[in-house]
Amino acid sequence: MGNEHITNNGLAAEGDIVLEVKNLVVHYVLKKETVEAVNDISFSLKKGRAIGLVGETGAGKTTTALSIMNLVPDPPGVIKNGTINVCGYDILKLKHNELKKVRGKDVSMIFQDPMTALNPVMRVGDQIAESVRLHENVSKAKAYERAVEMLELVGISGERASEFPHQFSGGMKQRVVIAIALACSPHVLIADEPTTALDVTIQAQVLDMMNDLKKKFNTALVMITHDLGVVAKMCDEVAVMYAGRIVESGTLEDVFNDTMHPYTEGLFNSLPNLENREAELEPIPGLMPDPTKLPPGCSFAPRCKYATEACSAKRPEPRKVSDTHTVLCTRYDDPSFRIKRRQSNEQHVS
Amino acid sequence: MFIYSIKRILWLIPTIICVSFIIYALMDLAPGTVVDSMITSEMTKEDIAELRAQYDLDKPMVYRYGKYMLRLVQGDLGKSQVSGLSVWDLYTSRFPMTLRLALVSLCIGVAIALPLGIFAALHSGTIWDNLTTGIALIGISMPSFWTGLLLLFAFSYHIKIFPSGYNGTLASYVLPAVTSGFMMSASTTRQTRSAMLEVLRQDYLRTARAKGVSERMIIIKHALGNALIPIITQVGMMLAFSLAGSVVIETVFMWPGIGQLTIEAINRRDTPLACGGIILTLILFITMLLIVDLLYALVDPRIRAQFAPARRRKSA
Amino acid sequence: MNKKSSQTLISQKYDRKGLLSEIWQRIRTNPGAVLGMIVLCILMLTMLYGIFFISYEQVTKMNPLQRFKPPSAEHWFGTDEMGRDLFLRVIYGLRYSYSLAIGAVAMAFVIGTFFGSLAGFFGGRVDTIIMRTTDIMSSVPTILLGMVIVSVLGSSTLNLLLAIGITASPMFVRMSRASVLTVRGNEYVEAAQAIGMSNFRIVFTQALPNALSPLIVTLTSRMGTAILEIASLSFIGFGIKVPLPELGALVSSGRNFINPAPHITIFPGLFIVLTTFSFAMLGDGLRDALDPRLKK
Repeated sequence: MGNEHITNNGLAAEGDIVLEVKNLVVHYVLKKETVEAVNDISFSLKKGRAIGLVGETGAGKTTTALSIMNLVPDPPGVIKNGTINVCGYDILKLKHNELKKVRGKDVSMIFQDPMTALNPVMRVGDQIAESVRLHENVSKAKAYERAVEMLELVGISGERASEFPHQFSGGMKQRVVIAIALACSPHVLIADEPTTALDVTIQAQVLDMMNDLKKKFNTALVMITHDLGVVAKMCDEVAVMYAGRIVESGTLEDVFNDTMHPYTEGLFNSLPNLENREAELEPIPGLMPDPTKLPPGCSFAPRCKYATEACSAKRPEPRKVSDTHTVLCTRYDDPSFRIKRRQSNEQHVS
Repeated sequence: MFIYSIKRILWLIPTIICVSFIIYALMDLAPGTVVDSMITSEMTKEDIAELRAQYDLDKPMVYRYGKYMLRLVQGDLGKSQVSGLSVWDLYTSRFPMTLRLALVSLCIGVAIALPLGIFAALHSGTIWDNLTTGIALIGISMPSFWTGLLLLFAFSYHIKIFPSGYNGTLASYVLPAVTSGFMMSASTTRQTRSAMLEVLRQDYLRTARAKGVSERMIIIKHALGNALIPIITQVGMMLAFSLAGSVVIETVFMWPGIGQLTIEAINRRDTPLACGGIILTLILFITMLLIVDLLYALVDPRIRAQFAPARRRKSA
Repeated sequence: MNKKSSQTLISQKYDRKGLLSEIWQRIRTNPGAVLGMIVLCILMLTMLYGIFFISYEQVTKMNPLQRFKPPSAEHWFGTDEMGRDLFLRVIYGLRYSYSLAIGAVAMAFVIGTFFGSLAGFFGGRVDTIIMRTTDIMSSVPTILLGMVIVSVLGSSTLNLLLAIGITASPMFVRMSRASVLTVRGNEYVEAAQAIGMSNFRIVFTQALPNALSPLIVTLTSRMGTAILEIASLSFIGFGIKVPLPELGALVSSGRNFINPAPHITIFPGLFIVLTTFSFAMLGDGLRDALDPRLKK
């Protein structure tokens, strides 16, 4: 399955690539069945850039993120195939000893639920300082100082460093988690739905702050979300995931304005249209296929309104539309095939 | 926290009064009175009445109880009828023996239980886990006196390494402390395992891993730090129960502690000593439970905060 | 969430048979629980055998020529210091441990759940009084209370029952109170009130049945503890006294002869361990079956 070039944005500046995922396959092997969570995905990311991994719940986004940290729970998780390269480290081959030097230093992660992500019996300052102490040869006091600085950087007054997580609200906890993740200015930051668990009013604040910090630290960001709005706000590149595969990837421009894949189209159609409030929402019919019994052909075929018999018969191969834009859809074997959104876009242009 | 502690300590007083009253009343109900043994055939009815009055036996029981408790507060629980020594002195002289044994047992118990419980939790679902939990389950099913007797047979009679009772040497601590420590470790292992299992699936361990904390430190610092809260309660309860229930182990190993003291007193119908021994042990037990409760609040910052003076807590 | 749980509770209430058979289904797949249950059944049958086929004379008749005989084909567990057959004595003695444990725990269960439900359902002053009393009761260790009761009132079965039953009840009070508190606010209880059911009927026909599963778990594991407590009290001489062959008393009488004849101590103790262990296994299995949260 040689689709390693599915998003190949970084070839021009090899040295700059800080994250490269190649042919990653992750399965959860349970007693009775095997969950095929991630099925052969590849992407890469340059320093300071941000990629959005978009998809429904269960599309394999979080598993991908955990794989980058080599934190896939094992058992039952098994990384069947693939390589992940973070700043020159072959993450999946590292021993525990080397891995712990990379985690938190070169690559960090922000988790979905800030309410449970902090150790309830440790002061937040100590939790941030721990990360500093692990990766930098500094004294305890110095590390704590850094922790206080980090707290202020994420918008929490430094004197609260001596408080416990339960004294913080959800939004502030997430800020603390972000402070921990950025404490050693990592090259790659993975954010797994960092705002899903937060109130809408807090979401924007946290995202703005992340954007600022990302620029400040020149960190590459992997933004995992099901919210296309977040992607538009934060990312330079987008990879749309469905049933463990990247079905469409490209620059923000490519995917948003030049949508190719029927699933991506479906995602956009299920969003409310700000310009035409009368327009009806078009949710994608059906549900994500059972990841233990993926259909033999295109996984999206059963829900796809353009699907033909050929779609269900064979696995789609990645198709490069432009240097940056790749799509995984069999229908494009027919050069005249256009999804609806594209037709209307083209009409618009002409 | 302070007010909470004060409240809890104040609540101790009615509890002690109620419990000691029940015990006192029961002991008072016993057939026969203190004076029975003093009555001789030469005594006249008046003599007997006078003797009874001397012990307040002509007054209602509540009166005697009140007087008893007043004297208890002053450390005066009367004299043993058998030896004539002060009950308070007898009790306090024997108490260190019980306490020392309990503390040594506790150390043994915790030293076995913590690693085993953590080990079982880390290997949850494997044969090692089943083996550990199985042994712990057998452990809690064994009556301590039986375990003690088996050890006694094996290591004191069969292979003569340890003395069968207290003889002042450190060696005499081994068998009773191992017996009682083993009993404690069984339930503490179970508690440790379940506390660790609960903590091991928490998200904050993943956060710690993502920070680059080594697996060993994850277990020791992050997981155990949280699991310790319920474990400490368990250990405190164990200590309280081993002090209050010391009588069984002390009977097996002829250990001259408070349990033996009480049981001898009961067997010899030495009512003041028996009553005093039981009530003092009760007070000890209740106080221990209170300390465990307060300790629990002290270890857990979440509970501690509930009782902290109002401070800005949640502001987004 | 709330709505959903109340719905499941309704279905539990009106589908009791279904619930029980579901519990049974889950217990069946737990090897520990099944093992515990089988061993308990065998022990109960053994006890019944003792009740019907072993006479008091058989277990108390002394035989000076047969003293301290080690286990053999003739005397499976050997003989004791009076030449009595230990196997018969142990089998005969099971009845004391078991009937006392069952009686005491049943008493604690009935008293505990009664007062606990009242406290939970009515709240307010009733709750305060009951819970404070419970606090006080639970601060008396069983062994101490047993010693006092038996030394004052004599070592009758009833007194032992009282001592163990009283100290076992606080746990049931607390559990049933908590369970009733959680279901009290549910719609079906309000509905029962709305149709004019009396408070008592609501507690015992609506609220309590839904609190049963945690209570059953406690009941089971408490049985093992009760057996240990009875044996311990008998061992220190405050329980059932020799010549009646209660298990703890048998161990106690064996300790003086442990050097020449350890079997007198070992066999009765083994039966205590076996019984308690089976109850503990069954209790753990029930807990896993009834409370999926705690499953590994």
